[in-house]
Amino acid sequence: MSVRRQSLVIALPVIAILLWAVVYPNAAVIAGSFENGLGHWREFAASPADREALRTSIVIAIASVFASLAVGVPLAFLLGRFDFPGRRLLRAVATLPAALPPLVGVIAFLFLYGESGVITRAVQRMLGMPQAPWQLKGVGAIVFVHAYTMYVYVFLFVSAGLERFDATLDEAASGLGASTWHRLRRVTLPLLMPAVAGSALLVFMNALGSFSAPYVFGGGLRVLSTQILASKTNGAMGLAYVETTVLALSAVAGLVLFRWLDRKRKYTLASKGGRQRRVIQSRKLQIVMSTAAALIVIALVLPHLMVILVSFARDGVWTTQVLPPEYTLENYRRLFSEAELWRPITNSVSMALIATAGNLVVCFIAAYLIVFRNFAGRRLLELLIVLPWAIPATAIALGLAATFSRNDLLTGRVLLVGTFWILPLAYFIRDTPLVASAVESSLRQMDASLEDAARGLGASWLLTMRRVILPAARPGLIAGGLLAAVTAVGEFVASVVLYTHSNRPISMEILAQLRALAFGTAAAYSVLLILLVLLMALAARSFEERLV
Amino acid sequence: MRRAWWLVGLGLALSACSSDNRTVLIVYSPHGKELLEYFEKGFEKAHPDVDIQWVDMGSQEVLERVRAEKPNPQADVWFGAPAEAFDRATKENLLQPYKPTWAAAIDPEGREAHDNWYGTYLTPEVIAYNRDAVKDADAPKDWDDLIDPKWKGKIIIRDPIASGTMRAIFGAIMARSIAQTGKPDAGYEWLRKLDANTRDYVLNPTIMYQKLGRQEGVVTMWDMPDIATLEQRTKIPVKYVIPASGTPLLVDGIAIVRGSKHPKEAEAYYEYVTTPQAMIAAADSFLRIPARKDIPVAELPQWIRDAMSKIKPMPVDRQVMAAHLDEWMKYWDANIRNRGQKQ
Repeated sequence: MSVRRQSLVIALPVIAILLWAVVYPNAAVIAGSFENGLGHWREFAASPADREALRTSIVIAIASVFASLAVGVPLAFLLGRFDFPGRRLLRAVATLPAALPPLVGVIAFLFLYGESGVITRAVQRMLGMPQAPWQLKGVGAIVFVHAYTMYVYVFLFVSAGLERFDATLDEAASGLGASTWHRLRRVTLPLLMPAVAGSALLVFMNALGSFSAPYVFGGGLRVLSTQILASKTNGAMGLAYVETTVLALSAVAGLVLFRWLDRKRKYTLASKGGRQRRVIQSRKLQIVMSTAAALIVIALVLPHLMVILVSFARDGVWTTQVLPPEYTLENYRRLFSEAELWRPITNSVSMALIATAGNLVVCFIAAYLIVFRNFAGRRLLELLIVLPWAIPATAIALGLAATFSRNDLLTGRVLLVGTFWILPLAYFIRDTPLVASAVESSLRQMDASLEDAARGLGASWLLTMRRVILPAARPGLIAGGLLAAVTAVGEFVASVVLYTHSNRPISMEILAQLRALAFGTAAAYSVLLILLVLLMALAARSFEERLV
Repeated sequence: MRRAWWLVGLGLALSACSSDNRTVLIVYSPHGKELLEYFEKGFEKAHPDVDIQWVDMGSQEVLERVRAEKPNPQADVWFGAPAEAFDRATKENLLQPYKPTWAAAIDPEGREAHDNWYGTYLTPEVIAYNRDAVKDADAPKDWDDLIDPKWKGKIIIRDPIASGTMRAIFGAIMARSIAQTGKPDAGYEWLRKLDANTRDYVLNPTIMYQKLGRQEGVVTMWDMPDIATLEQRTKIPVKYVIPASGTPLLVDGIAIVRGSKHPKEAEAYYEYVTTPQAMIAAADSFLRIPARKDIPVAELPQWIRDAMSKIKPMPVDRQVMAAHLDEWMKYWDANIRNRGQKQ
């Protein structure tokens, strides 16, 4: 069997799965936008509110990319390249923002930086101002939250990139007389480009379809995701489908642009990379760096501390004070007296593990094929694997609900609505691009000739996989898998549309507590969720260390 | 990897072993955990072969889920939503008509003509304020007081597009304009002045309560049962005023979901939560105002009797509302929201 033929045979099942799970349901959404001919599209084009929403969504997405890069890249360098007191602590908390479930994270920000938030009131008191120094609303507020929650993607991708980075290259360049700036521009950054572009794309897509932040801070602001909600609420499904399609089209435009930027450069490394960090010798520099690290640590941990604080605060008594005035264990007592406490947790964990296991298998095969093989369906596979990014979670959920609502083997439909399996499928779809792009960027840094060399030396296909390809993919597999599992465990947007009583996830339990005005209990539940996520991260790390 | 698979197996086993032999009856409801648990316990005691499983969510969410699940309905009973949402569901053929034994005890405007849904509770809309920040004497007494420039930047309301309550209030203002002048202009002018006074539109009621309690805004409009719950059951310092000129009186209802797999049990639950005893219990413990007309007033709690004597229902033509509300809201969203001068 020729290599091309063999590649196609491996690729076919992956392509089939993605066509069935991703393309099929979303075709239904697009078809829905044309149910009335061009009528709904004309309505969209004629609506100033929708045009404004589209503009704002794109502005937010682009601003979020720059903000996340501005935080994530320097932090990855700081931690990847230098050694200074406090580095380990900073490394440990750097990914914490990912451990905040979306809705809870936004509410923690409200409690911290909102008009009546702790920081806001503290500043107001200190400066003796009659009014809050700032208002947490509008585009700025949303980008602020996005920068905090989404910089983690940039940080993880760039860190993984740096880990595979061969320090000797840098030294060689330096030995050849290149200045620091020159080295950065011509050696370091080009090699990190796949990681930077991949994570920037991820931030762009996430910010574009983001729902929680506009939902809480939106107020007067219009973005497409909340417009979709408003149209659905008004019963204008046709218009909602158009808005969803437009959102998807903007995302596809972003996708094409990023891919094009990324394709222009191709650099690979032949070595396995080394992990060298410069130990900071200068006393002064050490202090500067450690202070900076301490400040960053505080900023990163504050929202979590806020959630913990609220989980001990008595509900309703915190009015005009800077900090909650009364503390109690009541919230936790209420939580643990609940008979059904563990149900949402076991639901979320098992669904996240199922989805992530599926992601790891499918995405590893797909990334391997995309990076190292050349065959007829490669372009298609590449497109399919990133496609879920271009589709907002609400649309994924709507499409799934519409498609998998009955058993019909002829049209490939299975009854999943109202069953346990619909959410793992939704999580799988949402996280596919995440895992695939993490694995891809790891694999791209491996020289393709390594595989040929192994085969040439007589290693079997399986042995080559195990000893050459898998180790090269490992940082991406672990980073991507961890992110996927963490996202799935706290997933909110698709869950709210698709959950049933048999798979009710943690985010829905938190939402129910918030609805019942039990901020304290919701916060206590969030603390459990954060602990769970940390546990998963620890498990992934120990897994990684055992393999090294 | 092996450990991960083991966990997956464990998770599956845990999620699989949760059912017993009872018939599972699924109730979608926004009424909150306490009320739902109360009725669940009582009903299961009377019907030991039925296991009530309720899912607590907003009424708009219920509508969207029932809509999405139409091809394969999961819910049996839909307990709680304003008439507007039920009317929509009726139009979309999502409900199973059922005529309760007490059908005669409900006014014609408190039910659907073809028995698709019946009213359970009444929800008057009120003006609420933070009692720490606003003295009772200064509080707005009627809708028109809200557009007084002295409240500039002090009003905080829920985003009207996403809220049935706010839609009802805006609709009533617009309907008043149509009734008085035959044109919507005066109503839009009123809403424009309200927008100029509004500090923020909040997308979520819980966050609105929080902001009201913490004086980010000090006056709002909302429904009486929720504000009464805040006032009596939480420490958030709120109080409400029943608007002097009249207020929209919304009907909250109950319905059986079309395609329910257990119609017999669904009907039994429907009847169980709407008996006079159940209505009185809901009034006593959960601050709901019964819609049934045959409940002896003497058995209702004092605050409801007080409120009912002060409430002047605003005559709202449901036909006009159904025909124009979407259009009014769209106009407001596109041309009025955030156009007023903010400080």
